Amino acid sequence: MEKTGFQRQLVGIVFGVGVAALLAFAGGAAHAQKVAPITIVINQSPWFGGFSKAVEAYERETANKVTLDVNPFAGSAEKQRNSVRSRQGQFDILVMNSTWLAEFYHGGFLTPLGDIDPSFKLDPQVLSYDDTAYWDAKTKSNNARTGSLYGVPLNGNIQLLFYRADLYQQAGLKVPETWDQLMANAQKLHNPPSIYGMVFRGARSASDISYDWMPYLHSHNGAIFKDEKAGDFTVTINSPEAKKALDTYVDLTRKVGPPNPGSYGQAQVIQALVTGKAAHGTPVIAAWSQMDDPSKSAVVGKINVAVLPRGPGGKPSPTLGHFIGAIPKNIPRDRQVAALAFLKWFQTVQAQQIVANAGAPPIRKDVLESELSNKPENRWMKAMVDSAPYPRSMYTVPEGPQIVSVLELRLNQAVIGEKNTAEALNTIATEIQEIMRKGGYKTGKLPDLK
Amino acid sequence: MDAHLLGDARRWRYYALAPAVAVYLLLTALPLANLVAMSLHDIRWQGGSADWQFSGIRHFAELGGDQLIRAGIANTVVFAIGAVTCEMLIGFFLALFTSRVVTGRVAYRTIFLLPILIPGIVIGAIWKLMYNPDFGVINQLLSLAGLPGRDWLGEKNLALASVIVVDIWHWTPFVFLLLLAALESLPQDVFEATRVDGATAWQELRYVTLPMMWPAIAVTLLFRLIVSFKVFDEVYLLTGGGPGTATEVVSFTIYRRFFTEDRMGYGSAISLVTLFVLALLIVLALYGSRRFSKET
Repeated sequence: MEKTGFQRQLVGIVFGVGVAALLAFAGGAAHAQKVAPITIVINQSPWFGGFSKAVEAYERETANKVTLDVNPFAGSAEKQRNSVRSRQGQFDILVMNSTWLAEFYHGGFLTPLGDIDPSFKLDPQVLSYDDTAYWDAKTKSNNARTGSLYGVPLNGNIQLLFYRADLYQQAGLKVPETWDQLMANAQKLHNPPSIYGMVFRGARSASDISYDWMPYLHSHNGAIFKDEKAGDFTVTINSPEAKKALDTYVDLTRKVGPPNPGSYGQAQVIQALVTGKAAHGTPVIAAWSQMDDPSKSAVVGKINVAVLPRGPGGKPSPTLGHFIGAIPKNIPRDRQVAALAFLKWFQTVQAQQIVANAGAPPIRKDVLESELSNKPENRWMKAMVDSAPYPRSMYTVPEGPQIVSVLELRLNQAVIGEKNTAEALNTIATEIQEIMRKGGYKTGKLPDLK
Repeated sequence: MDAHLLGDARRWRYYALAPAVAVYLLLTALPLANLVAMSLHDIRWQGGSADWQFSGIRHFAELGGDQLIRAGIANTVVFAIGAVTCEMLIGFFLALFTSRVVTGRVAYRTIFLLPILIPGIVIGAIWKLMYNPDFGVINQLLSLAGLPGRDWLGEKNLALASVIVVDIWHWTPFVFLLLLAALESLPQDVFEATRVDGATAWQELRYVTLPMMWPAIAVTLLFRLIVSFKVFDEVYLLTGGGPGTATEVVSFTIYRRFFTEDRMGYGSAISLVTLFVLALLIVLALYGSRRFSKET
């Protein structure tokens, strides 16, 4: 049967639409599947909410597939170790906390990002975090000038002073700049069991009291080692400055803390703050997302943050508890490329705005200083910017987890009264010196404190 | 029997045993040999590969000076003896009291058994909330009675006892189950004869029930002791070994040294010594149990 003109037109239209649909589908698929699916191993921290929101946005925007392998803090480090030590790694992006970063750099498990894409650089607006994203394999140090870029900061966790702004206003208090001023303010607000003047991460765990006390040590001009960057690992943690720092900490826990500060970890500190049981605390800024969340907090709008106080003659010294996203050596090239695609996207303004809007700390200075910071819910951003010059690393040696283990036990013993502060610091110094001696470092220690 | 056939039969026994031996070698002997090898080395990672340096018996020599190990051993012994004694006593008397209950036996047995069905992580969450000094139900009940609350997991004098209570709650149903099964399998005519002879309840328990129950009690006790010496999850979830070293147990020290601190050589040495001590305990317990059974 001969087709009429209309039939021919109809067939033409159907064919044309079909071809167009096929092309559109093919184009869409090509756009959707730009890079290989990746798996990110990460820990369940207070900032995880912001990161997962960013991952969701990345998947929506690029149609690339990202799987999150979420673990407890210590479990994440163990999974990452197992993965990088096997023939082929399971994870494409390792979300590494500063406490185990050194171990992975020294172990040689990571790929310089320039090996995947020679043009890739860290955006100048991304905060430096003491150059911890760079590693100089020759000098074994974090150095942006001489080292290679191995990762992108994923979270700028540092400690800030959380305080009850409403109670400060009622009592006519000023935001403290020194630990002594903090003690005075906390004593005025200490009214147990209704409210404790301050809560601490005094528990012994994978990383609680050691991290909590570091700002006291550094802001009293103390340090674990004499000159780590110059390779002098003489242990100085039993110095008079360190003793003053530990005395200050223990004094605060006893005078304005809860009955058993030695059992409070990060979760308990956050819980005490959001339930209105604490007037002060120095948790990481990542905890902020819970302070103004009406489903979690009884003190919405009542908490504010400030730069950490300092010791006599010292500077505020928040400790870096940040996370770096790095790519292991032992995964196929296509997954390395896909992992870098995510890291590239993550450092953009758009991605960091998503992170900030979810209440997690962004890594970009321009986002921290943007109009976002004027919103009442983002009142923490100014303190973050003000703290930017001060953050310090705890250590840069792969023996870090052993050092933390010693600090956790001995500092906790000082807080619960099993050891006095001099005994605790002398024991810490002896044990760290032994760790360093076995590691083959140039080491020694100060004479014991009396 | 023909000597040739006898030889074949003997050979066949070995052939039949071979798969079991192979599985044993693969799953037990090989990991054990690897553990021995690791315990004699310092293992470091450089350039993406492991560098094994022979350290001889240095790791074993260091064990005596390790304060965490010493605290771990002391706490583990207290934990095992405290928890298992209570579990055995409560489990046995629960089994005794309920063995003759007929009405609602399915219901009460199900209720009694619930704790062993709950995953460890859930138990940790439940008890951590119950022990919470500010919001926990235990302190709330105490305050209703006009008593002051305590920080059950935070006070160094209370923490280990609090963990032991959780273990008792968790594992008593297991003891109850085994002993109830043993109790119900005892020959009833012996009990009937005892009663006909005019024995009191105490005499029946002392001279009939306990001697007949002894093998079941010994096996249950041994099993619980072995498991309680390996306690890990309750400590990990509730206290993390603290405050100080108040709840440090051997398994947790191994975990800390081996995994958290990444000291594979030293962690292997602790594991081997623990394994040896546990094996020795088992042998001694079995030997003691056999002797006791023969004497009674």
